[in-house]
Amino acid sequence: MTEKTVSEIVSRCEALYEDLYFNAAREWKAAKPGRKVIGFMPLYVPRELIHAAGMLPLGIMGGGDNLEVIHGDAYYQSYICRIPRSTIELGVSGRLDFVDGMLFPSICDVIRNLSGMWKMLFPDVYSKYFDVPQTYRDEIGGEFYTNEMREFLHDLEGIAGRKITDDDIRASIAVYNENRRAIAELYALRQSQPWNAPASEAYLVLRAGLVLPVEEHTQLVRDYVAAASAEQRPVKDNSRVVLTGMFCEQPPLNLIKSLELSGCYVVNDDFVLVSRWLMDDVPTEGDPVHNLSQAFLHRSMSTAAKYEPNEAEKGQFLVRQVRDANAEGVIFASTSFCDPALLDRPMMQNVLKAADVPFIAFKYAENSGQMQPIREQAGTFVDSIKLWSAA
Amino acid sequence: MTLTAGIDVGTGAVKAVIFRVEDDKEEWLSKCSLRIRSRDPMQLAREAFDQALEDAGVKEEDIDYVATTGEGESIPFHTGHFYSMTSHARGAQFLNPETGAILDSGALHGRAMIIDEKGKVINYKMTSQCASGSGQFLENIARYLGIAQDEIGSLSVKGDDPEEVSSICAVLAETDVINMVSRGISAPNILKGIHLSMASRLARLLKSIGVKDDVIMMTGGMGLDEGLCVALRESLAKMKGMDGATVVNHPDSIFAGAIGAALWGAFRYEKLAESGQLLKAS
Repeated sequence: MTEKTVSEIVSRCEALYEDLYFNAAREWKAAKPGRKVIGFMPLYVPRELIHAAGMLPLGIMGGGDNLEVIHGDAYYQSYICRIPRSTIELGVSGRLDFVDGMLFPSICDVIRNLSGMWKMLFPDVYSKYFDVPQTYRDEIGGEFYTNEMREFLHDLEGIAGRKITDDDIRASIAVYNENRRAIAELYALRQSQPWNAPASEAYLVLRAGLVLPVEEHTQLVRDYVAAASAEQRPVKDNSRVVLTGMFCEQPPLNLIKSLELSGCYVVNDDFVLVSRWLMDDVPTEGDPVHNLSQAFLHRSMSTAAKYEPNEAEKGQFLVRQVRDANAEGVIFASTSFCDPALLDRPMMQNVLKAADVPFIAFKYAENSGQMQPIREQAGTFVDSIKLWSAA
Repeated sequence: MTLTAGIDVGTGAVKAVIFRVEDDKEEWLSKCSLRIRSRDPMQLAREAFDQALEDAGVKEEDIDYVATTGEGESIPFHTGHFYSMTSHARGAQFLNPETGAILDSGALHGRAMIIDEKGKVINYKMTSQCASGSGQFLENIARYLGIAQDEIGSLSVKGDDPEEVSSICAVLAETDVINMVSRGISAPNILKGIHLSMASRLARLLKSIGVKDDVIMMTGGMGLDEGLCVALRESLAKMKGMDGATVVNHPDSIFAGAIGAALWGAFRYEKLAESGQLLKAS
């Protein structure tokens, strides 16, 4: 078998990213009678359960910068972010007409309201507001989340028309563990050789995982890591930064490219967080639902949409990300009107100040087109790190 | 000893310089400036770099750090990129060590900065999006008047009864100029009026960032426009609290960005060498 080049892999991922009719998922569904597709929004859903039901989890991250929102604006006030508008647009324009169910994870009030709108707009499509615990104690949040997943499994069995066994779920956990390992290898490469695995390419590779079957995506990630590692791209005198705040509405590709052009090596980020939310392998022995719940409670990442009860721990996850990636600064990039990110940001900035980590902050929307102000801000930030930092 | 190159891709021209830096001695070896005129800026950057290398008598492989600035971040052979404000500040300080503020006026924008004694930008502000304060606008007007670019400054200083031009909008300013031509206003007075209009805008920009009695170095493509320098001096003299400022330029003002990039490149190269992370120009 001929090894794929970086350019071939990235081109394929870019085509998947730009396809707002989700033809890859449509083709998967059409390939075998009875196949079902379950859509989900950011931030996280246990895709293992959907996979165990023999269905395709399809990540819907809004419409990006290539979708003109015509109907979606009528559903939300002007002070609401863009992802719910463009998701409505995807729905009412028929782009999601092949999707058999939609999950709206608990992230903010806007997405909760979207789940209600979906029920009214598409009464024949399974729709669920997927609640996740905000209390991370086993006997409270753990029990709640286990029940939530069991209820979802029951719903999936109704759609699939068959029982989903614990062995089915264990097998799916193993498949997703493999995917998480491949993605961890991708991030390790980005941290050791950021010039060979730019964030703009890695982002496309991650986005492909939202529409492809997980087994295919794992192979694609591994192909990219192998091809990118073999590249001999020139090393630039760039600054290593962690990008944070992009956990829900995803950035336009040009924004990531602009940051890189401004002299940033993005060595960690929170793009497409569903693929990295659980930080390591979920055990494949024992009760699989309990295992998924335990992983969520005790081995999941930290972000603005997750409650941190321990004040001393607030922001320390980000500081550790900076230290582990040997980063020189943090860029807070938050969606305009994103309550979780913008309310969290001052607290995180205080923690970074105390840790002596430089940072900048700006806002964007998934359809932001004017990159000059962002380039200006990022460029001066990189200069200040390179020329005036103590290191 | 560190050999560095600075390449500044501007809107109107590409500039390249080569420096040799040893201890505190900064030796400027060569310079090259090429007007873009609808040509590919990336190709011109290569040509300007090659010419500067040849003039300096050094080979590309001897260059330790190729620093870009302006729109040069896409140049494939660069080692590091510096934002144009950072580069212009350092370049202006090299051209005149007394510099306390910089007015970088190029083809499409004006930008005022205050720097400290190390060349660090303390405060800055840019003109808004309208092109009426830009070199491109002035170039267009000169073309309508049938005047060569290098005559603009010398004609402007001869203006004795300048006509007021809109400083808000380039379209309105162009209409003003057409009216002036039809009314028989002389070219020196038209140009002086434009320069005064631009200068009042730039003077407000300088004031807004806290410039008082500093030495203001003019850089960018308009840095050598004597008409603009004279008009700026006149505008500042009339402005409360700004009459102690001194406006200066330099024959090599246009190279300030490239110079600053090259010098920061040398600084970075040495800093990386100290920390054992040596990069070689790629």
